[in-house]
Amino acid sequence: MDADIQPATPGATHATMQAPAQPVLHDVLLQLASVVGEKNCIREVEQLRTYESDGLASFRATPGVVVLPASTEEVAQVVRIAQRANLPIVARGAGTGLSGGALPIPGCVLIGLSRMKKILEVDLDNGFLRVQPGVINLDVSKHIGPGGYYYAPDPSSQSVCTIGGNVAENSGGAHCLKYGFTVNHVLGLTVVLGDGSIVKLGGPVLDEPGYDLTGVVVGSEGMLGIVTEVVLRALRKPEATRTFFATFPSTTEAGNAVSAIIASGIVPAAIEMMDKLAIVAAKAATGVDWPDVNAALLMDVDGPLAECEHTSAIASRLCSEAGALEVRVPRDAYQRDLMWKGRKSAFAAVGRISRNYLVQDGVIPRSEIAKVLREIAELAAKTGLRVANVFHAGDGNLHPLVLYDARVPGEEKKAEEFAGDILRICLRYGGSITGEHGVGADKAIYMGEMFSEGDLETMGKLRCAFDPEARFNPGKVFPTPRLCGDKPGPHKPHASELSGDAVRV
Amino acid sequence: MLRSLRERVMFVGGGTQLGLGPAPEVLFSTRLLNRIVDYAPSDQVVTVEAGVTLAALQEHLNKQGQRLSLDPPLPERATLGGIVAANSFGPLRTRFGSVRDLIIGVSIVRADGTRAKGGGKVVKTVAGFDLPKLMCGSLGTLGLIATTTFRVHPLPESHATLVARGLPASGVFALVKAMRAAQLEPAAMVATREETTWEIVVRFEGFESGVKQQREKLRTLGAFEDEGDSVWAAHAAFRTAGDARVKVAALPSQLEQVVSALPAEQRLCWYPTLGLGFAMGSFEFESARHTLAALGGSLTVEAAPSGSAYGAPPDSLRVHQSMKARFDPRDLLAPGRFIGGI
Repeated sequence: MDADIQPATPGATHATMQAPAQPVLHDVLLQLASVVGEKNCIREVEQLRTYESDGLASFRATPGVVVLPASTEEVAQVVRIAQRANLPIVARGAGTGLSGGALPIPGCVLIGLSRMKKILEVDLDNGFLRVQPGVINLDVSKHIGPGGYYYAPDPSSQSVCTIGGNVAENSGGAHCLKYGFTVNHVLGLTVVLGDGSIVKLGGPVLDEPGYDLTGVVVGSEGMLGIVTEVVLRALRKPEATRTFFATFPSTTEAGNAVSAIIASGIVPAAIEMMDKLAIVAAKAATGVDWPDVNAALLMDVDGPLAECEHTSAIASRLCSEAGALEVRVPRDAYQRDLMWKGRKSAFAAVGRISRNYLVQDGVIPRSEIAKVLREIAELAAKTGLRVANVFHAGDGNLHPLVLYDARVPGEEKKAEEFAGDILRICLRYGGSITGEHGVGADKAIYMGEMFSEGDLETMGKLRCAFDPEARFNPGKVFPTPRLCGDKPGPHKPHASELSGDAVRV
Repeated sequence: MLRSLRERVMFVGGGTQLGLGPAPEVLFSTRLLNRIVDYAPSDQVVTVEAGVTLAALQEHLNKQGQRLSLDPPLPERATLGGIVAANSFGPLRTRFGSVRDLIIGVSIVRADGTRAKGGGKVVKTVAGFDLPKLMCGSLGTLGLIATTTFRVHPLPESHATLVARGLPASGVFALVKAMRAAQLEPAAMVATREETTWEIVVRFEGFESGVKQQREKLRTLGAFEDEGDSVWAAHAAFRTAGDARVKVAALPSQLEQVVSALPAEQRLCWYPTLGLGFAMGSFEFESARHTLAALGGSLTVEAAPSGSAYGAPPDSLRVHQSMKARFDPRDLLAPGRFIGGI
């Protein structure tokens, strides 16, 4: 995205975050620097600007200070200093998130975890490894690849995004249709809580007695604590993978092909759809030799060799029966990688065909794909904006890219409203406002459309159980600010409660 | 009804997992919450009320060539609400994971009567905090699970079960490693101790060609014979035998240490890829509990005439306590049945 675009029209949450910040007190800065070292305590305004947004570049705020700790203990000390100074804390990995999850709160202590990038333990026999949060997603698979293993979640940004960020957002990726999301591959966590205490949740041994707090922290968007170690599942590579690329006269036929493949009992490893604009963009960016068609599917099946041969043959036949123009099978691993590169670069590639664009992330029941795409197209025609569609068709996770030109007055606002209307379509079909990018700052205003007050209040209780002072990432996810309102720790019922005269909310 | 609650209450589904803990004043049966609310076969998603039994749900799904890939014992009695609350599982966990990996949405009623939902009705959503996961294994201590939404899978076209007998304990994990090296993908795998040796049962599922290939490959790794499906029913019966049972958890490679921590005459089954097992029959389990804790594992009592269900609580106990206090401040829901006296 262009660096000169203006901050987006603020929603309620965004406006709160733009409140003027007090500078961090000199004494606090000195304490932070003494923990992480002078050069890892960033306070020069010019340098702080590097951290003022994440992948959602239209939202910006300047942190009070950025600290780059190197260990769990340093994170804990930083949190204690921030707590004493009553400063909000925001954690940040690589800053590739697309929902403003790592957007600073003005004047906050931003904890960058990029220096914590050690792989601490590898136990392939037992199928796990223990890593620090700053480890790059793809580096995990590179590290265990030679032993015949890999780490399954594969967000498109996997060559730069970090495991810590993946944990915060419960990141998905093309292959989560068969293998699940980050949460299905995280066995345990070390977390620094709001009072600076360190807790271990779960671990390589399954079913630790108690609530599944590991499962709760994954996807909590940095609002429960700071994750400083992660135990990941290492999967044995499948014996075989078969890929094909099929083109269609329209997204309707492509959607029908997806439905037919799923109905046949095949669980594809991945099944991705692109529409005409997305194909044009991917070609412009990567040079893949795809034809100019209105829709394409890219599909992987994996598993035992004989099964793969069988399922890829069936799926290919079902595509033809659904009206495919052509089904291409890559000749070799190089060609396969190129096909996937075309798909994974689709977001960035859209920059080749439009000055600005918004990446949307919504989910619908997969059987409704064709209908929803038609509604989006009608809306596009009405607003006069173009939409490129790239999505995980197998699980109904849409990524409409709304193209616009920020230089045209009013067009950015129109694009944002359009992107919001797409989410409302998803909700109307019983879907979700985010499948993998998270709510963050971007979508907090839509939470009230997906969830009732009782739902949000209950989620608030979950957060308060971890972070009663709302120290971490305040203002994100929830549409209205929430306070916990009482003291943390085990509850001692008051006499009036015991007698039934009073009820604590 | 919950809003006016004054007494301590426990929610009961099929009553298959009630073998331990203090009895509350009121039992709240979910038996009448027995509707299948919504089922979209083409989306492979189903929403059911808490009191639907697993067998009733499977029968419904099977008509459309699908199933919920969960197979805890006693499906005729076990309800979906209870299965989520107790984190129940069977051999299919080998391939499909546990409840937490299959649940995608939940609605609950809190102790103060507030209704709340989390997750959704699509297989993929990250909007809001993960209430469905919070409910998994929560034993009814945070709220009444009213409905649950699951991802379902196609019924496999074909399957095969094979058995090998007479393995030493060390051979169990050696086989896991060999199967992984050979890139076999078992749907289910369980080892059962018979006197001093182990019997291993493996199930493959999928399309016929894949099942056939894997079956042949497994036979090159050990003395495996074809076996009938009744062996799985026998396993389920084993899991529920007697009135005393404990669940043991360790790393898959630690089976031998687990074995030596338990009395030699103890009946024992073990899911070799998961590192989870069950020991049947009454015994003094405190010393075994210490040994397992030292290994990084745990021993949890599922049913016993007396004794404590849990060992020393994890160091995160105060977060668990805080969660309980936020959800159930009057401590009315199944008090004393969870870790650390929650």
